[in-house]
Amino acid sequence: MAGYIIKRIAVAFLTLLLIMCITFLLMNAVPGSPFLTEKSTPEMIARANAKYGLDKPLYIQLWNYIKNYLRGDLGTSLKMQEGTNVSDIIFHQGKFTLSLKLGLYALLLAVIIGIPLGCIAAYNRGSWIDGFLRVLTTIGVAVPTFVLATLLLVTFAVKLQWLPTLSSSLTSFKSYVMPVISLSFYYTCYVAKLTRTSMLDAINQDYIRTARAKGVKTHALILKHALRNSLIPVITYLGPVMAGIITGSFVVESTFSIPGLGKYFVQSVLNRDYPVIMATTVVLSALVIIMNLVVDIAYKIVDPRITLTEKED
Amino acid sequence: MDGKFAKLSPFQLDPDKIPDTLSPADFESAAESEKASMVEKHKSVSYWRDAWRRFKANTVSMVALGIFILCLFFAFIGPSLIPYGYGAQYRSSQKLGPFEYSKGEELIRSITDDCDAFYATALQPGSKTAVSKGNYFIRYKGATYAFTLAKAVEKSVIMLAADAAEPLLLVKESDIKDGSVTQSTPIELSETAAEDAKELKLVRNVVPHVFGTDSAGRDIMARTMYGTRVSITIGLVAALIVLIIGSIYGAISGLAGGAVDFIMMRIVELIYSIPEVLIVLLLQVVLKDPLQAWFDSGTTAFARAMSDLGSGIVSIFITFALLYWVTMARIVRGQVLQLKKQEYVTAATALGASGGRIIRRHLLPNCVGQLVITTCLQIPSAIFLESFLSFLGLGVSAPMASLGSLCSDALETISLYPYRLVFPGVILTVVVLTLNLIGDGLRDALDPRLKK
Repeated sequence: MAGYIIKRIAVAFLTLLLIMCITFLLMNAVPGSPFLTEKSTPEMIARANAKYGLDKPLYIQLWNYIKNYLRGDLGTSLKMQEGTNVSDIIFHQGKFTLSLKLGLYALLLAVIIGIPLGCIAAYNRGSWIDGFLRVLTTIGVAVPTFVLATLLLVTFAVKLQWLPTLSSSLTSFKSYVMPVISLSFYYTCYVAKLTRTSMLDAINQDYIRTARAKGVKTHALILKHALRNSLIPVITYLGPVMAGIITGSFVVESTFSIPGLGKYFVQSVLNRDYPVIMATTVVLSALVIIMNLVVDIAYKIVDPRITLTEKED
Repeated sequence: MDGKFAKLSPFQLDPDKIPDTLSPADFESAAESEKASMVEKHKSVSYWRDAWRRFKANTVSMVALGIFILCLFFAFIGPSLIPYGYGAQYRSSQKLGPFEYSKGEELIRSITDDCDAFYATALQPGSKTAVSKGNYFIRYKGATYAFTLAKAVEKSVIMLAADAAEPLLLVKESDIKDGSVTQSTPIELSETAAEDAKELKLVRNVVPHVFGTDSAGRDIMARTMYGTRVSITIGLVAALIVLIIGSIYGAISGLAGGAVDFIMMRIVELIYSIPEVLIVLLLQVVLKDPLQAWFDSGTTAFARAMSDLGSGIVSIFITFALLYWVTMARIVRGQVLQLKKQEYVTAATALGASGGRIIRRHLLPNCVGQLVITTCLQIPSAIFLESFLSFLGLGVSAPMASLGSLCSDALETISLYPYRLVFPGVILTVVVLTLNLIGDGLRDALDPRLKK
């Protein structure tokens, strides 16, 4: 187990390194300079380049990035908040916490709503409840996040005025409602579908029949015996969910004007603020990679049958 | 032939019941028609026919297929049924609601249909005038343009709207001699109608803008049709790219095995663990300018075709080719690992078939079910990605449209005109939903072992 975790952490670092290299190459493949404006002269650009070390050969620039990142220094912003330390922008101006909170709440909602819904559907298989939930979840995984987010915004904030239009600071409970729901809706439906399928699989197993024959009550049967086994596919799916929630947060954050990391990343790409692009990419990727690691280890705990070293497909 | 035997098959004959009186005729060989009734024919059912039979039995998938075909009609045939173009801006008809049309359009339509003169009072300020049928010329800013009556009216409406101060002459053909205007019908304020004019009853047979128009006067239905076409095409092409790269990569990796397989699968794992959306966003920005330069300098037919698509769409394809094939590669490799142990592969190897031939002739055709299912489910994910990028302003650019960019356009005026989001949003949802359901149906039909 310990060996496996060490190996996975090493691979995670390797992946992050690869992501840094790819990001660096892509950033530098964009023609033009971050300092290019209508007023700038070639001298000004050269001076700015020299100031931020952009005149050095690419491999040295890349090496500097890696060296500084290992020391925990994410560099300074070139453009968007010139001269400010990027780690200050990300961690101390609340962007990271804002996005993380939004993402975790969405994840939590997907799990605590999705899994029970799946259980209810499987338990009432073939009844109208199952039918209704199937229709709901099937449609749910086909609605794009931005359509849902905008419709919620128009209905509840603009027309009915029950909820605030701008959730910018996410201070009150009310301001969380719409962003979290629109971010987690797809995943709630997907988790519910997944739980239903694997629950039905589990219910048809022999050990469930044995337990039933021994007189275990139905709700105990579902909650204790069937659920535990049917959770495995759901847990495997949580890694991709995290990546998806980060993707979704780009849309949700721009729809609800939340100044989070997702919105900041999009802006930094459009502004070509190299250190900010690099930092946001690495932080978001690290989040996804850590989540995948946690999921894989949780996987092992839930199902001891899985041998981690031979994980093919 | 004796009637006693006719109904019995030879196996049912009881020796004790053989009739005593047998005539030689009873021992004659059976006629063809009698033989035919003995043979039970099993018509061999092909894989696809069998799958289609199972698919047809699945009501939900069949309904989804029907709706998807309707969407295809909407996207590919619809644009030729409505008189509006996806990029054309109808100046007099901005910001119309669903099923509305503007006065200007109504007027133009009425004139072309049933009258020989038009007498406009509400058209433009200072345009009370009358014209008769025939060819017309517009003299505007020193240039003369020739039009039919309908076009002349349409153009003068647009030109007047653009610049009301500029004098505009609408001239009949008969009024022009040797290139100079002898007599003119100026469009200007006059209290009385021209002599040959008759007042017009507006006839309501204009094709309405079913989904309304946007702020630039573009018909939203035409744009939605076009956007659906773009989105579906992107989905299909991206899925095809994933299919080709993923299946070849997976098949090579699975068949080669050993160190090659190990390295190829580590590469897949690395790509798999990259949060692709971050890279996709970067790629979109990075590829924009080089692609544009290539379009501008490109002379080949391929470059021109790509240039018609625009850099946004082409970079989506490149993204799919770089990052999204890994799932397909994993699935194909898993299948190939199972299949390559089969005797026919050994036999082919023994007969000296090359690796490429084994992949082409034996392995890929045998996992065609999985290939079709995965490709089909890849289409909605490509459509989702494209709409996501367009929504962030990175996908297709105007006047081109995709369902995502239409939703994005609708956002600016969402509180005033919510229907602008609803139409493309609903169609996007329906397309993705039906493709998902068709994919599920295909899974049940092509791979019955997986059926739950």
